[in-house]
Amino acid sequence: MLNFLKILATPEFFYSIIRISAPILFATLAAIVVEKAGFSNIGLEGLMMFSALAGSLVSYYTKTWYFGLLAALATGVLMSLIMGFFAFKLKTDIILVGVAVNMMGSGGTLFLCKVITNLTQGKAMASTTGLITKSLCIPDISIPLLHQIPFLGAVFSGHNLLTYLAFLFCLLTSVMLYKTPLGLNIRAVGENPNAASSVGVSVLRIKYTAMAFSGLMSGFGGAFMSMAYAQGWSLDMVSGRGFIALAAQAMGGGECLGGMLSALVFGFAQALGIKFSAIGLDSNLASPIPYAVTIIGLVIFAIVRNNKIKRQHSAAALAKSEAK
Amino acid sequence: MTKRRQLKFTMIRSLVAICIALLVATLLILISAGGDTFQEKLQATGEALKQMLVGPLFRMSQKKGTSFEAKRLADILAAMIPTIFTGLSVCVMFSANQFNLGAEGGIMLGAFASAMTAIYLPMPAGVHAVVAVLVGGAAVALIMLLPALLKTKLNVSEMVCSLMLNYIIMYVIKFLMNTYLADKSRGQIMSYAFQETANIPPIVNNTVFSGAKLTWGFVIAILAVILCGLFMYRSRWGYTIRMIGINQDFAKYSGMKVGAVIVLAQVVGGFLAGAGGGIEMLGRYTSFSWSALPGYGWTGLTIAILAGNNPYMVPFAAFFMAYLSKGCDLMATYAKVPAQLIDIIQGVIFLFFAAEQFLSKYRQKLVVKSAKEEIARANLQKEG
Repeated sequence: MLNFLKILATPEFFYSIIRISAPILFATLAAIVVEKAGFSNIGLEGLMMFSALAGSLVSYYTKTWYFGLLAALATGVLMSLIMGFFAFKLKTDIILVGVAVNMMGSGGTLFLCKVITNLTQGKAMASTTGLITKSLCIPDISIPLLHQIPFLGAVFSGHNLLTYLAFLFCLLTSVMLYKTPLGLNIRAVGENPNAASSVGVSVLRIKYTAMAFSGLMSGFGGAFMSMAYAQGWSLDMVSGRGFIALAAQAMGGGECLGGMLSALVFGFAQALGIKFSAIGLDSNLASPIPYAVTIIGLVIFAIVRNNKIKRQHSAAALAKSEAK
Repeated sequence: MTKRRQLKFTMIRSLVAICIALLVATLLILISAGGDTFQEKLQATGEALKQMLVGPLFRMSQKKGTSFEAKRLADILAAMIPTIFTGLSVCVMFSANQFNLGAEGGIMLGAFASAMTAIYLPMPAGVHAVVAVLVGGAAVALIMLLPALLKTKLNVSEMVCSLMLNYIIMYVIKFLMNTYLADKSRGQIMSYAFQETANIPPIVNNTVFSGAKLTWGFVIAILAVILCGLFMYRSRWGYTIRMIGINQDFAKYSGMKVGAVIVLAQVVGGFLAGAGGGIEMLGRYTSFSWSALPGYGWTGLTIAILAGNNPYMVPFAAFFMAYLSKGCDLMATYAKVPAQLIDIIQGVIFLFFAAEQFLSKYRQKLVVKSAKEEIARANLQKEG
């Protein structure tokens, strides 16, 4: 047990928590903004799959990683706008739109990958891992001065460009939601679309904007998966991160800071799972940990929320009786 | 709107949705088809489409021409067994407005539990298979209590919870198989063989269908459709489930036990998915070797949407999906188009079927027409 703790107390472990949390954080931000606008996008998983594929393929064909990143972002935004069209224009239940995108994100991406790369030979799983080299991935960044500090340097420096962007976007999203007119409109539409519409806010445009934002974040998340976390795209590589993000959004109370902390909790659980398998436990025993933590986290969050509501109610009742 | 017009609208709408999906499929095939000139590509696309749309029932060869193939029909019917069950499962849960997406993990857990019963609990023939399937169903019904109770007691999203459960179920089963249950004498990870008493026998002698496997599971699936239909449309519980789906507040204020019925819907849904997994496992395989989620849950979701949450329509939707899936498989074999095209077609059909406002202008026209006729008739009666 003590030995095990010793393994955990290394800078590598904390480094891996941050690394693993980054894609979850991107998806969580996506979930937070649409949830603020009053609906939920459960298609994040599929959006990330498509973005991941687009990113890795475009970076392979153009031989430049930033074109790949741009393609991933464009794919995310474009697909989320199509989702918005189905949800807002054709009045498909937004949850079902998400389910459909996830459906296509699993087998459909494999289809596209096979068709575009012509790796159709045999029944073997196609992936782009054979095509992508280190130079086609998004680069890591070593922060000057910081990387020389003993423990902290190893934890916080040398991360991928997107990892830093994830935490930066966490801050920016918070500012966007609470300090800009756009954020005010998004929150207004989420809380009371009729009131927002009555003061001249175009509800539909705000909803599309929120949707596009979630697509953008999913694009970053997908690009991270195929161009930083792993070298290349492979089938079902997002493996539930889009769903975990929905849970992180709920657990974080729908706020950026809370969402970030929840994402870190999931990152911790996943990093722990990897460490478990490193010391010889079956990885299949460690892999479900993040999913189980998600359910437990949701339960804890629900209990806390319910207690808060109860307290508010009893406080209100008390105030009423005192007033008499 | 009259009933006949309503039916007409539903059928036209379905056809248009399917046509759009096939159009998308055609475009994708055209892109992926071999051939250097456009002419060749077009020809290859035609071949691929023919395989996909006609191939599931007819064998096409240069020498013998097109001939009906009973084996392929049996294959399609056999492929419908698990998806009918997941389709019914989703129907029941979605009817109560519970977006429980646990049918995917449910069918795997049901298959696993049934398989374990079939291997480790010796019982006389006949009883064994029934008990094994019931155990599979009960196991999933029990698991579905978790999202259901969390939803009713704490208002935790059943959707996220059931999605997480899918992954947990898959990994735990993989862990159990790797560590304890695998038959170490085999090359790959699979359990010991089921006891023969637990097999679900085929309906007809296999030679008739030239090697195809169609078990009594199919008959059980159709029975399940009828039972589920009766449950949903002829029982008090079913009525409450549908009423909660239509208007939960109304159901609550008219004294229905909303919480209990929400739990019930998910437990019944879980049981159906689990039993389906058991029947599929005991009918098609001789030992448990699944190492990933089988995907029947998602197909079941599409089927439920196609069927409009009506259990009686589920077999037709399941047939349609099985037909398309078989067509895509054949296309992959004969025309070198990846079989995963089915996922894209499925997604597109799903989207358009679920789209409420799709062709709404046409429906509006029909409604107006009906209303005008009604007014005219009323005027006639007044005069007469």
